Amino acid sequence: MVGTRLPRGTTARVVLASSRNAWADLAATFTPLTWTLGWLGRIVAQVIFYALIGSLLGSPDRMRYLYIGAAVVATAMETLLVVSTSTRERYSGTLPLLVASPSRLWPVFLGRSVQWLPSGVATATVALFAIGPAFGVRFTLSSGFAAFGVLVLVAITTYGYGLALAALVLRFMRLRNWATNLSYTVMMLICGVTVPLSFWPVWLQGAAQVFPLTHTLHVIRLLEGGTGDSLTILTSLGLAVLTSLGWYGVAAFLLERLATAGRRRGSIEFAES
Amino acid sequence: MQYGRAVGSAVAVVGLRREFGGRRGQPVVTALKDVNLQIPEGEIHGLLGPNGAGKTTLCKILSTVLLPTRGSVEICGYDVESETAAVRRLIGIVFGGERGLYTRLTARGNLEFWASLYGLSGTQSQRRVGQLLERLGLDQRADTRVETFSRGMKQRLHLARGLIGDPRVLILDEPTTGMDPVAAQEFRTLVTSLQTEGRTILVTTHDMAEAEAICDRVTLIDHGSVLATERPSTLGRWITRYARVRASGLLPAQVAPVTAALSGLDGVATVHEVAEGTLLVDTAADGAAPAVMRLLLDLGITDVATTRPDLAEVYLRVIGNRGMRVDR
Ligand SMILES: Nc1ncnc2c1ncn2[C@@H]1O[C@H](COP(=O)(O)OP(=O)(O)OP(=O)(O)O)[C@@H](O)[C@H]1O
Ligand SMILES: [Mg+2]
Repeated sequence: MVGTRLPRGTTARVVLASSRNAWADLAATFTPLTWTLGWLGRIVAQVIFYALIGSLLGSPDRMRYLYIGAAVVATAMETLLVVSTSTRERYSGTLPLLVASPSRLWPVFLGRSVQWLPSGVATATVALFAIGPAFGVRFTLSSGFAAFGVLVLVAITTYGYGLALAALVLRFMRLRNWATNLSYTVMMLICGVTVPLSFWPVWLQGAAQVFPLTHTLHVIRLLEGGTGDSLTILTSLGLAVLTSLGWYGVAAFLLERLATAGRRRGSIEFAES
Repeated sequence: MQYGRAVGSAVAVVGLRREFGGRRGQPVVTALKDVNLQIPEGEIHGLLGPNGAGKTTLCKILSTVLLPTRGSVEICGYDVESETAAVRRLIGIVFGGERGLYTRLTARGNLEFWASLYGLSGTQSQRRVGQLLERLGLDQRADTRVETFSRGMKQRLHLARGLIGDPRVLILDEPTTGMDPVAAQEFRTLVTSLQTEGRTILVTTHDMAEAEAICDRVTLIDHGSVLATERPSTLGRWITRYARVRASGLLPAQVAPVTAALSGLDGVATVHEVAEGTLLVDTAADGAAPAVMRLLLDLGITDVATTRPDLAEVYLRVIGNRGMRVDR
């Protein structure tokens, strides 16, 4: 008889092996120099651009608000590159091989795009802590360390959302061009990046709660302003973790559905162009 | 090592049908209709058919990435639909072309990744990957990125990947497409060597010569139906039976009488003037081609050659003789 269960630890080994693929991708795309000059430079320029809009409005507070929002959203934006990295499995013809293997799909995709997490955290770290002071962004040593930890959380929690989006796009490839852009735009608008949540009607504020970014960004602003009490901060962090766990669950579910629905409909191609 | 249930067939396909489309007014395409196929353990079985015949569709169903619309498919006694997990541990898939590899990883990196998906732990994985790299002649380049590999090396890596889970049944979908003849020949030698390990191999191809070279039996498939399952030697006989004779350099005045004389011979199917002074004679019986050649020589036409019929042509005749309708 053939055993149908894989040995213990297989899931973890798959995530790890898949993450090696992620690092290889990063190494093939950037050298440390091109990452710093090209990628980091581009993101920082974008953050500064937003802050300058704030300064045109003639308010240092606005400028600071926009600067922090743009810096933190950069982490989220980079993390959303999980969508394009994941869809590559279709173009490279590896999706049918993954489906036909005895493992499940979600551990593969969980590890596949992790390169964007440290990359996203690093760009925002440089923007917030190295260049931020020029735009009035100030952290104490302890709030700075705490904010760095929250940036890591921004990446990890948004990754769950990105994975769910990737699973959807892998299933409906016609969404691929605008799914990420739409998400990005929505986050920019309603998650407290460019305008405070209170600017929006209550139902939209409610919708913003499903994005982990809303909660994590809120905490970073509190840390920077030195105004947050620990209960508010912990509640927000808890909400970020909970919503992101929800997204990770949705992602795993959609990825497994991708395989079953694909088998039924015939949408898992051996060779796709 | 004996996996699977005590059954004779490594692959058992009964009454298999697969349709596509049919949603929102799309037309229904029937890629496979009522396919039956039994492949005993240890056989190299060829699946031969023209474009769109349904070869890839059958491979996909056997490899659990596509469900049947109707019918049953078993691998070593396990049903692809209800016992998918067991089937996935028994099969390996290899398809031709550039796809299916992570080009930014090394050969070793690729194999280690797939080893993890097949449940191999660190040391097992290292051992197996090392063995496969050596066996497929990739050990010298094991630690270079796959994007620098030649077509033949990529295909050998593909095969190594297909073998990582130690499959009992290996499914190869046009594995030699795009390879140069030498690399393709090497690849075929590798495939035949796998048989000695008791693996069952299903290989699809357009190429009759490839099928003849490596297969124990060959199934001809067209328009989603199995036409015949035969030994390659039988195919070889068909090829001679349906040989074509080409006669060139006829004078304009010779064309009509020579055509008439040839048409009168037993076993001559058609005679066409394909270019000025050139006749193409299709035969459809054993021994007809030599008779055609003799007659041509007797008539003083010496520019004569026989050619292999193309595959589609043979299908057409075989199917024609069996009274089946073919749309071409
Ligand atoms: N996902 C799909 N959706 C719609 N039609 C499909 C799909 N897959 C295959 N078909 C159709 O089913 C038929 C059989 O296709 P299949 O790819 O199995 O042929 P094949 O024998 O592998 O051909 P080739 O030699 O070109 O690879 C074709 O008419 C094809 O257009
Ligand atoms: Mg095909």
